[in-house]
Amino acid sequence: MIRLLFILLGLIVVSSCGKDKVGYKPTPYQLNIPSHFPDMNIPADNPMTVEGVELGRFLFYEKRLSGNDQMSCGTCHTPYTSFSDSAKYSTGIDGIKGNRNAMALINLGWDSFFFWDGRATSLEQQILGPVPNPIEMHLSWKEAISKLKKDTYYRNQFYKAFGVEDFDSTHAAKAIAQFIRTMISGSSKFDVMYKIENNKPLNASEQAVSIDPEEWAGYDLFKSLNGADCFHCHNGPLMRVAKFSNNGLDFSFLDLGRGAITNNPNDHGKFKVPTLRNIALSAPYMHDGRFKNLDEVIEHYSSGIHASPTIDPLIEFSSQGGVQLDAQEKYLLKRFLMTLTDNSFINNPDFQDPN
Amino acid sequence: MVRNFFYFIIFGLLFACKPDDVTPPPAPAETARILVNPIFGGVPLLLDSIYQGPSGIRIKVSDIKFYTTYLTNQNNTFSEVAYFDFREKGNLLLEQVADYTKFSSLSYILGVDSSLNHDDPSAFPNNSPLNIMNAGSMHWGWNTGYIFISVEGKADTLVDGVDNFDLSFSYHIGTDLYQQAMSFSNLNWVKTAAHQHTLAFNLDMESFFFNPSQPINIPSEPFTHSGAGLGALTQKVAFNFKNALQPQ
Repeated sequence: MIRLLFILLGLIVVSSCGKDKVGYKPTPYQLNIPSHFPDMNIPADNPMTVEGVELGRFLFYEKRLSGNDQMSCGTCHTPYTSFSDSAKYSTGIDGIKGNRNAMALINLGWDSFFFWDGRATSLEQQILGPVPNPIEMHLSWKEAISKLKKDTYYRNQFYKAFGVEDFDSTHAAKAIAQFIRTMISGSSKFDVMYKIENNKPLNASEQAVSIDPEEWAGYDLFKSLNGADCFHCHNGPLMRVAKFSNNGLDFSFLDLGRGAITNNPNDHGKFKVPTLRNIALSAPYMHDGRFKNLDEVIEHYSSGIHASPTIDPLIEFSSQGGVQLDAQEKYLLKRFLMTLTDNSFINNPDFQDPN
Repeated sequence: MVRNFFYFIIFGLLFACKPDDVTPPPAPAETARILVNPIFGGVPLLLDSIYQGPSGIRIKVSDIKFYTTYLTNQNNTFSEVAYFDFREKGNLLLEQVADYTKFSSLSYILGVDSSLNHDDPSAFPNNSPLNIMNAGSMHWGWNTGYIFISVEGKADTLVDGVDNFDLSFSYHIGTDLYQQAMSFSNLNWVKTAAHQHTLAFNLDMESFFFNPSQPINIPSEPFTHSGAGLGALTQKVAFNFKNALQPQ
């Protein structure tokens, strides 16, 4: 009897002191945030870990997340185009084209709404969209996860990152979000100009950067109220403001943009203001990829503005069709826009396809 | 032996189940909040709705934003900075734990005080309205600092009964020159919840646009960004806004 009691007690003690599962020891990931950037808000339910970021990178380039094993996130967000698509519209696995240009993935850790119409309010939410979308990767998350579970690497890596064996789409989205939050661009020539302008210290490599007078003149035009007047929507170290804007593309709208989400006529024709970082690499431009190059973009703001009821009040020269730049001004403005190119970002080995 | 063992177990269980000490919950904190209610013609102003001025001109306001800094009453600080964004935040300027009885009078800078205006906008704490992530388009991106007051919208300059709204207006007041000190006394804090008092201001946009002593002529004065060439308009806009903002 006594022996039985001791055995029972022993079992209780052993079961109550169950040890943590071996192998789940995630390593905190330290983001390399440029000195002139604000802090990044990381969701409390998805802390950055080395294991999560690595998993996210593999998933970002994982073609088994598509219905025919031929398409990954990286297919439409290629590094050499600053993680956008050089095609006007991306083509899904069934050969169906979308109706909006794939956005560049740059510094998204600071964004609070995603897609051109802002319908996703977190990176994790945004990432859940393209996999089951029939005109994109066209695979249910259930099937996608089922494929991943057959792979030893993913079984191990999900466990290392999240401590789960029965992982699902939310874990995949969290991992990809972690990876995307590491995709920080802050090492362009513009960043040196920004620091000089704001009296911020330059490191040794930045001090060696040469900025010519035309680039400075282009920057002055960019900010000038009577010049290109770009700064209202593209300013600060992130080179954008967080808003939706109708930038005068059309008199009327085939694509309602933000208005289709809010059902508010005052939002018709408004789209997310994108960053201008790496703008020279991410052609074509606008939500529908209508402009093939920077010259066409500059011409739009110079003379191609269409006034409409929802046009952004900050397009102040809309009644004149635009800011009316001359040829030299267009050239200088383009020179400045080229300073936003950050080659170290697109060539960063940490952002490339691990396979 | 067996009986003793059972006594031991029972005592152990009793102690293991001892309830935590019960401590009374802390008293709820007293909060004080400041509301700013935009009005036009004595009724609440709605963004993107049409209002008519005295000359027949019709306007739609799409954004009203402004900063105040150093809200104090003598040695008592209510807040270092507060940010009003009617579209994104509604009519709440500020709410925080504070003893309202210390703020029967209130002084503040309408705008961003020069001691803060030129600091690195990325270096403010994440929850500060001055952090670039929260300031957004209210920071000019170079060393002129923040936009203190921003009023944007559209005007229909043709009095023909047709909705044209062909003219955009944007009034952006900034630079240290246009900081404005404001001071009010005998403020009427109203108890609005068990542990909350509220101070309400009106922002009379009719008075802002069509101040009888110096109305803004929207068709000929559709925008200012506080540059040197538009000093007179900038001064008028700043003055009108200051006077339009009054305690209820």
